[in-house]
Amino acid sequence: MLSVRRMAAVARKEWVQLRRDPRSMVLAFALPPFLLLFFGYAISWDIRDLRLAVVDQDNTTQSRGLVEAFETSGYFSVAERPAATADVDELLVQARVIGALIIPPGFATDLLAGRDAPVQLLLDGGDANTATIALNYASAIAVDYSRETVLHGRRVAAPLVPEARVWYNPTLESSNMIVPGLIAVIMSIIAAMLTALTIAREWERGTMEQLAATPVHRLEIVFGKLLPYLAIGLFDVAVTAAAGVVVFAVPLRGSIVLLGAMTLLFLLGALGLGMFISAVLRSQVLATQVAMVATYLPALLLSGFLFDIASMPVVLRAITYVIPAKYYIAVTRGVFLKGVGLEALWVQGLSMVLFAALGIGLATAAFHKRIAD
Amino acid sequence: MPLVSLRRVRTLVRKEMRQILRDPKTKRVIFASPILQLLLFGYAVTTDVRDVATFVVDHDRTAESRALQDALTAGDWFRIAGTSDRPADLAAALDRGTAAIGLEIPRGFARDLAAGRGAAVQVLVDGTSSNTATVAQGYATRIIQEFGIAYAESQGAIVEGGVDLRARAWFNPDLESRPYNVPAIIGILLMLMALLLTALAVVRERELGTLDQLLVSPLTAGELMLGKTIPVAIIALIDLALICIVAILWFGIPLRGSIIALVVASFVYILASLGFGLFISTVSKTQQEAFMSMFLLFLPAVVLSGFMYPVDTMPDVFQTLTLLNPVRHFLVIVRGIFLKGYGFGDIWVQLGIITVMAGGVLAGAAARFRKSVG
Amino acid sequence: MNAIEVRDVTRRFGDFTAVDSATFEVRRGEIFGFLGPNGAGKTTTIRMLSGLLRPTSGSVLVAGHDVARDAAVVRARIGYMSQSFSLYADLTVDENIELFGGLYGVEPARLRERRDWVLSMAGLHGRERSAAGELPLGFKQRLALGCAVLHEPPILFLDEPTSGVDPIARRGFWDLIHALAGGGTTVLVSTHYMEEAEYCHRLILMNRGRIIAEGTPSALRAAMTEPILRITTDDAPLAVEALAGTPGVLDAAMFGRALHVVTEPSADAGALAAVLTRSGREVYDVSPVEPTLEDVFVSLVRREGGAVVG
Repeated sequence: MLSVRRMAAVARKEWVQLRRDPRSMVLAFALPPFLLLFFGYAISWDIRDLRLAVVDQDNTTQSRGLVEAFETSGYFSVAERPAATADVDELLVQARVIGALIIPPGFATDLLAGRDAPVQLLLDGGDANTATIALNYASAIAVDYSRETVLHGRRVAAPLVPEARVWYNPTLESSNMIVPGLIAVIMSIIAAMLTALTIAREWERGTMEQLAATPVHRLEIVFGKLLPYLAIGLFDVAVTAAAGVVVFAVPLRGSIVLLGAMTLLFLLGALGLGMFISAVLRSQVLATQVAMVATYLPALLLSGFLFDIASMPVVLRAITYVIPAKYYIAVTRGVFLKGVGLEALWVQGLSMVLFAALGIGLATAAFHKRIAD
Repeated sequence: MPLVSLRRVRTLVRKEMRQILRDPKTKRVIFASPILQLLLFGYAVTTDVRDVATFVVDHDRTAESRALQDALTAGDWFRIAGTSDRPADLAAALDRGTAAIGLEIPRGFARDLAAGRGAAVQVLVDGTSSNTATVAQGYATRIIQEFGIAYAESQGAIVEGGVDLRARAWFNPDLESRPYNVPAIIGILLMLMALLLTALAVVRERELGTLDQLLVSPLTAGELMLGKTIPVAIIALIDLALICIVAILWFGIPLRGSIIALVVASFVYILASLGFGLFISTVSKTQQEAFMSMFLLFLPAVVLSGFMYPVDTMPDVFQTLTLLNPVRHFLVIVRGIFLKGYGFGDIWVQLGIITVMAGGVLAGAAARFRKSVG
Repeated sequence: MNAIEVRDVTRRFGDFTAVDSATFEVRRGEIFGFLGPNGAGKTTTIRMLSGLLRPTSGSVLVAGHDVARDAAVVRARIGYMSQSFSLYADLTVDENIELFGGLYGVEPARLRERRDWVLSMAGLHGRERSAAGELPLGFKQRLALGCAVLHEPPILFLDEPTSGVDPIARRGFWDLIHALAGGGTTVLVSTHYMEEAEYCHRLILMNRGRIIAEGTPSALRAAMTEPILRITTDDAPLAVEALAGTPGVLDAAMFGRALHVVTEPSADAGALAAVLTRSGREVYDVSPVEPTLEDVFVSLVRREGGAVVG
């Protein structure tokens, strides 16, 4: 029989030790808000005011109108007006501009004659993402400009109009995407680092054997040790979520209870994994390093937090299926932004349960084996 | 301060090299892990938008509506992840995340298109991943517009012309993210290596007690720093060669600029990185503390480098902060040399800044070290 | 000129005074011991003498040079071996010798001779290529000593060199120290084994950061004014109980199956025996004995009204 009293005794001891270790306290309570603010403010995909060089060799009302259309879109700002096309090279090489718009002579004539009026857009393709977005914006601006200017006064409608609507995050705020994903990343760091810091230390110093020599059942030890970290983790999630809602105005549309339950399961799994690593390696330094590689890196790279999984090669895509953070991020985004419940997240829920069971199982097994050796 | 004794430095370098190369685990960390990480990051860090899962609700079911779907999936940007005739299924697919974009073609689509009445289709985008959403939405809009114009032209409806935007991307014509990201990964990995090998270097000896044995010898603080940095610099340069070879041969990243400039800039950058590592090592009391400090230094250095997130879109405060970050300056250099064919003439500003940083932080580490003795 | 001159040296760590105005000198060629329990300030003092730690105040002259000012000169003239085995465990015996030979600038030809000397002194011939960390502790300590004296320093600091070593290996180690001193090396050695102090030419006793006595082992013993009586009875533990609080008795402790009783100089042996007989003990023998250094140490601490740290 598991005894609540013994478990509580282990938990209390863990908490007392934790409270006395300033480094762990900083990690547990200062790091999450710092990371949230740091990432939340620093990372942004909102592309605005891309620096553009303009060479207007036509210099007509029409050519100036096109340049103005670029400027008023808000996506571009004219940063340079080199005299000759040849100067554009240098500007692009030096990254002083992201692109160059070259309007050849005869632009207005062609346009008014109803012919195709070619305009050249040179882009710095180095940063492919920015270039792609710039290209899409420029195309849209050119199409709009054609319609408004050229077809002006004629009764010709655009043949096909795509009516795009963005769900869940209509203004495409980066923070809406960052904050829910970040919670998963922060949890991975906390779970990995804290357990490596405190539990591996206990193995290092041999006090774990001391504990094992008492009548405390190993499940009681595992749970007793997990409890304080679980509490810290839940507290951190609550603080981070609240900060996300208050500071970054991220909507919380779904059920808080569901989010809490899923977080609990995810934390159990992640902490269990951290305990497992600590028990196997028995060294603070090694455990921290391995825990980082095993939990933090995948959470950052392979979870879909920042990088689109669909664009990865098939091997990496296959690996992402065993990355718990991937499912947890689907949960946080689902609950925060989509406002969905278990009907949409049952797969994730199931994987969270599996992950938690695996974490606890591994921790208990490793603990058992270590003591038996 | 007496002059540096070459013999003592050589003795120490030999000792460091022996210790590093003797341990198979360390050897793996030094030579295998950068290549593995380059492969992992090279594939995982991608801002390309490809194979976006698309859910289609086609109420029209005509040759035209099918042609539109074909046009959408013709490139490798979109793939059909599901179809249905009920809009609710589309909503559910977006909710569950099994589709990232939805296309709803209304009844009468073909009729409106043929009549030139301006047909409309609805594109629904999952905005929870902003970057993917922005890019996917842009592609979809363009493809659909072009489909409409092509259709109208095939019917002889529009002949008026208009602005013909001829875009050309320099340095990277196919607009792939990899040629931009892989050189940056080289920069990140070099710093990681230098930090890992130096951040624990002094504090480990302090913990083991061997540092005292060195300190009571005639070895000076400067000699000890040299003895600790030279082996790491050599190893980091070997790593540079290894990962550049993988980047060029495996990922096919072109190296257009000056190799000499790349080596010189990398060397200075490595010195700056290991200066930071040594500094951490001299101020830390335990290896654990050193590792944590390293993590807390490395994380913001990566975020504020322009590696995964563009510097230009950061708030001004952060943009200013990035100026203090050697990684940011090195990424400009390494990306420029690979993609844009930079030589010394193009990188001297960044190179100067990194040189000053390297000098400053190495001097700081030496001073700190001298002070911590006694 | 003395090999080491320490004037009024104090070292504080925050509020804690680890060494409190220590003053002493060490003559050339002598084995000078630091005796005291753990935490008495021995290691802190040695670290200050070898330049690893700066004194908060006071001056240290080693080989005629100020340690704080002429650190480089001093370092070339000293050897140092710390209480923890501090050679590189992952380097081989040979590589460790090569490393320290190189650091101390021993000429290659001379280093070959010194290497042979170290190998035979430490009994490591044939194990030159073993990792130092894999050697048994006694060998490690001899190797560490060898590496500390590769450059034949005139002054050698040994900080608890024998801690953790079995008694037989400890004897052997002290033979080595005597051989070095015989060759003219000044050896400053700290220990908390009281019996080891007997091997020193001169020594200081430290407690709680303060030097409480200085002299040769025999002079220190002679300075002990309180006589010690060895009493054998039928039941030693009960006898200790009976003597506690008896006037004239400063301390009574079991010593094997007998009792060592420290008395006030005025105390009368016969009266003590009477006290024991009255309490029902049978007293077989009462005789005065020579004090050990441990007795001296305890007596000195008691005289100061303090407690022994450790």
